[in-house]
Amino acid sequence: MSGDETGFERETRRSGPLVRVTRWLENLGETTFAYLLLIPLLLILSAIALYPLLRTFEFSLFTDWFSQGPPEFVGIDHYVNLFTGAADSQLAGSVTFLPDITVNGEFPFVHAAGIYRSALVVTLLFAFVSVFFETIIGFGQALILDKEYRGRRWVRAAIIIPWAIPVVIQGIIFFLMFHPSAGFMTDWLAPYGIVAARNTLNDPTSAFLIITIGDIWKTTAFMALLILAGLQSIDRNLYDVAKVAGATRWQQFRYITFPLVLPALGIAILFRMVGALRVYGLIDSVSTCTTVPSLSCMVVETFNTHRGLSSAIAFVTAAIIAIAVSGIIYQQYKEGSI
Amino acid sequence: MSVTPQSGSGSTESGGGIANYVRRVIHDEDVRERFYRALFYVAAAFFLITTLFPFYWLFVLALTPNSDILAGDWSLPVIGIDFPHPKGFNVQAFVEVFQQIPFHLYVFNSFVLATVTTIFVLIIASLAGYVFGRLEFPGRGALMLIVLAISYFPPAAFLIPLFDAFLGNAIVVPFLGIELFSIPRIVNTPWSMITPFSALFLPLSIFILTTFYGQIPDGLEDAARVEGTTRLGALVRVIMPLSAPGLATAAVLTFISVYNEYFFSSLMALENTPGNWSPLVGGILSYQTQYTTSFNLMAAASIVGVLPVVLLVVVAQERIVSGLTQGALKE
Repeated sequence: MSGDETGFERETRRSGPLVRVTRWLENLGETTFAYLLLIPLLLILSAIALYPLLRTFEFSLFTDWFSQGPPEFVGIDHYVNLFTGAADSQLAGSVTFLPDITVNGEFPFVHAAGIYRSALVVTLLFAFVSVFFETIIGFGQALILDKEYRGRRWVRAAIIIPWAIPVVIQGIIFFLMFHPSAGFMTDWLAPYGIVAARNTLNDPTSAFLIITIGDIWKTTAFMALLILAGLQSIDRNLYDVAKVAGATRWQQFRYITFPLVLPALGIAILFRMVGALRVYGLIDSVSTCTTVPSLSCMVVETFNTHRGLSSAIAFVTAAIIAIAVSGIIYQQYKEGSI
Repeated sequence: MSVTPQSGSGSTESGGGIANYVRRVIHDEDVRERFYRALFYVAAAFFLITTLFPFYWLFVLALTPNSDILAGDWSLPVIGIDFPHPKGFNVQAFVEVFQQIPFHLYVFNSFVLATVTTIFVLIIASLAGYVFGRLEFPGRGALMLIVLAISYFPPAAFLIPLFDAFLGNAIVVPFLGIELFSIPRIVNTPWSMITPFSALFLPLSIFILTTFYGQIPDGLEDAARVEGTTRLGALVRVIMPLSAPGLATAAVLTFISVYNEYFFSSLMALENTPGNWSPLVGGILSYQTQYTTSFNLMAAASIVGVLPVVLLVVVAQERIVSGLTQGALKE
């Protein structure tokens, strides 16, 4: 970095190491110069992202570190054990990786039991359910923010604030709201059977519902902002033309707003999927990782005792997220922004 | 706000009021416009209430003495409807928050981590943004793709080897088993959090700054160069000042992201003590695990912890909105 600093100085006729470094920098070709400036970025990304990712994959091919002796190479055993259920006993509590799936003649032929104990199902279900509701509510919020009216600035600030608050405080808010002795929500909802009346936060289905609501509350704003950006890029003249042609509001929405906002909506959904698939903090602060076992939760729960298995879970998580990421990259490649 | 008053003026027969109103909404343009406007205000009010109600709930809990919270009766005094409202005015809770545990130290740690990370990110992202935004070179697209991809990987996929290395164990070349070197044990220090934060939050800033730096006309940079500035001098003296809004956006978003981070914040400090550089997360969780029934203190601590970001949002909401949309949609 010290070489870069000298570039900030004005060139003088003096000679000395500073001037020589400056002159050397100035005479570099564009490609060399580009890569020189990227060194800090490449260093930190390879140290904090690339190296750990490769190492995680390596760990996942070896026995757990804390078993006797040095780790032994076991190939893809951990992955096989995860998907056959042989590794379930090593996961925390009564958590399983896959649900119990049985196939028989009764409709709908494939039966899944214990889906709220299955880390894979819980993670995917959480991501799909929360992103689904965030999309719908976010669209509504974006339509509200798209209008011109007095106080719009404050409405927008109010809608953004949940997005900006720390995850741990989001967790505490929902912990306090649904805590049987502090909160009021349990008293309101338990009579209808929506959440359990006692021990609400440690009941798998109730906790799953609470965490999903918590996530929707916080991250809908992100969705709304992305959709709003899509809405505001629509040419207003189109609406004037539509009005002249006698289109109703619904037709304007159906044939102008919706199709034109669709690309932004697609990107927003993928972004939120990526975020929702790595949920950890909300679960840890509202409930416990064994009650709502997301994949990231299982990595944290097991990495001190079963390093090989934990790495395998981490790598599966990364692979699932990679599918959503490739969707984002494809979309942006198509738009030519990379 | 409600739609019924408008229907009253037109309908004379009782019972036909609503049907009459619906007919007029369908046929009369004026009534329809008013109906849409009413609908709009109802929706806006609904969104405001749902987003802000949890904060109201925090205030209710913080101001209510803890014994009254545990009593659990939230019915309103006269009408008797069950609705959360403050049962007392116990401002003392906001003082107690700092007395039970040194909460201010946790918040201080968060501020230090967020500030240092923001500075790192701005420096590295400025160099990268300059390169990606203004230089043409082979491998540019591929590199941007890698940066983009890395930013979405789950922190859980980085945790295990990073934790291992931060404990002071040797860095090993993956798959070859060659031990390279070991870094000092940095768990329980700010570095164990600043380094992962920087890597995680760099990509967003890089994309924001690439857009901004790429928009500065070449002529301005050339003029500075003719004046005798070096390429980096032009970046610092011309491009960065002209991109001040972009830098502010990147800074605000990085600061908020670090302040809000949970995963590494809760794992890299081995105990939730301020001496181990445990940030806000540790402070709030201490209340949850040590003072399990002091609900008023949990709420008061959350309000204290949330104030800095609420202020940032109110002051810098334009920057946040533009940064988030740029990072994702890259207009």
